[in-house]
Amino acid sequence: MRLRWSRLSPQLAMLPAVSITLIAFLGSIGWTILMSFTRSRRLPEYAVDWERPFRQYNRLFADAGWQISLTNLIVLALGSAMAIVFGFILAALIERERRGEDFFRTVFLYPLAVSLIVTGVAWRWIFNPQYGIQHVLQSMGWETAAFNWLNDPTTAMYAIIIASVWQSSGFYMALMLAGLKGINTEIWSAARLDGVGLFRVYFEIIIPMMKFTFLTCAILLSLGVIKAFDIILAMTNGGPGQSTWVPAYFTINAMANKGNLGYASAAATMMLAITLVVFLPLVLLTVWQQRAAKKGAI
Amino acid sequence: MSDAGVMFPRKPRRIRGRSIAVIVFLAMAAMFFCVPLYVLIVTSFKDMDQIREGAIFSLPIRWTWEAWRFAWFDACSGLSCEGLQQGFWNSVVILVPSLIASIAVSMITGYALAIWDIKWAGPFLFLLFLTAFVPFQIIMYPLIRLTVMMGIYGSTTAIAFVHTVLAMPVLTLIFRNFYKDIPSDIIKAAIMDSGSFWRIFVEIILPLSGNILIVVLILQITSIWNDYLVGVTFGGLGTKPMTVHLANMVTVSTGTVSYNVNMAAALLTAIPPLVIYFVLGKFFVQGIAAGAIKG
Repeated sequence: MRLRWSRLSPQLAMLPAVSITLIAFLGSIGWTILMSFTRSRRLPEYAVDWERPFRQYNRLFADAGWQISLTNLIVLALGSAMAIVFGFILAALIERERRGEDFFRTVFLYPLAVSLIVTGVAWRWIFNPQYGIQHVLQSMGWETAAFNWLNDPTTAMYAIIIASVWQSSGFYMALMLAGLKGINTEIWSAARLDGVGLFRVYFEIIIPMMKFTFLTCAILLSLGVIKAFDIILAMTNGGPGQSTWVPAYFTINAMANKGNLGYASAAATMMLAITLVVFLPLVLLTVWQQRAAKKGAI
Repeated sequence: MSDAGVMFPRKPRRIRGRSIAVIVFLAMAAMFFCVPLYVLIVTSFKDMDQIREGAIFSLPIRWTWEAWRFAWFDACSGLSCEGLQQGFWNSVVILVPSLIASIAVSMITGYALAIWDIKWAGPFLFLLFLTAFVPFQIIMYPLIRLTVMMGIYGSTTAIAFVHTVLAMPVLTLIFRNFYKDIPSDIIKAAIMDSGSFWRIFVEIILPLSGNILIVVLILQITSIWNDYLVGVTFGGLGTKPMTVHLANMVTVSTGTVSYNVNMAAALLTAIPPLVIYFVLGKFFVQGIAAGAIKG
């Protein structure tokens, strides 16, 4: 009797996780995708609109706000990629110059422990046109200094990029540092003995060796960018106008402010599709990495 | 530069020009990273007269706790003017059940998947890996309906429930990967000895979990404390977390903006995770590495 119970309890213990996966994830995703093909407005309608099943998607892609959101997504991804470059430079320097490693690592990583709402408050204050950095530079004699980025639709996105690079560089530095420490130190000795210059060692040996780390960082960054919401809300709340909308913001806005369920569901489904497009390389990368490891190529 | 030093215990060496350049660059980067925190701190201790002079980097002429006191007790967030303290206690009340539920569920699931024969374990793990990346927006509305159906929408329970749902995939994978490396001899002996799922969990697994538990605990404390979206979506009147109160306070302030109060409020919100970070930084780094897929 006891034996049977002990065989049953592992399966029973899985029950919460399995029901969360089936209901809260798979069921919810299916429900939202279904909603995107209906004419639901404030309340869900379950009848799929067979005459024009893609009406929400057609509307979505005709919507200027959605086009801005997609453009900003790409701008944000490219801009935030600076965090990977910056993170690698910091990691490489910390790794070469071991003095103060703990101190620098602590300083570069602390933004990650802070809420993005707080990050937004701090950076908005720095960009404040009246009392912020613009005023400081102007009073120092640089009369034409213009750092009123957040109130200008053409520059607001760059201010958000600076804040998010500040926030996430430490994260990529930590991943890069782990990658750098995994590199066999004999490579350094060999390269230096051959008289290869420091920069060439990095560009021709170290960076190619860390291609998995770089790819992982790039994929994590893309997934993070798709989820970007808090930082937008705290920095600009989407404005000025719609100039800093991103898909995550667009979707929440369609749901919460416009109360248009079918429309918001179509946007959310597109977010999932973008995630999958980014996600597929991650799966392939994992497989590739395992194969490479088996061959002993790493 | 230091080839021998990497392979053998380091010998003290001369500081060379290149070394100095590297340290100077790192120090400048460190300054860039400290600027926002520095600006928050000095502004929060200034009075509004000095702030209006517009020297954002200057130190307070007269250090005052007034803005901090006001932010904590009196500042208005939405319609209520009871300060951030309400949001702080809401966050604490959200944190405790969220931590317990999310860690309990994923720990037991991770243990079952790592040690016991579970049907469909492989596909389920792959599914968890996939769900870890799902954007919150696509499950948000269905979860609202689900919590309404359960009769908990707007309560702390709803927020804790959603945190548990969102954390489950990543945490389960972390626990599973940790438990998988427990030597199988120990497990085999334990199964022969008692064979009970729960007894092995309590007597063998729990005592071995100290390290991973701290890592996960820190990961979860910071991410739950810093969460905004779940709190604002699933919280109701009187249950919204501190981040939501802060966001309302700094955006919907009418009349003249008290920047010093806003900065003090931001710092008050940031202090709990920062304290944890500076005290237990080592575990924090392990946590973000383990939870990297969380993004």
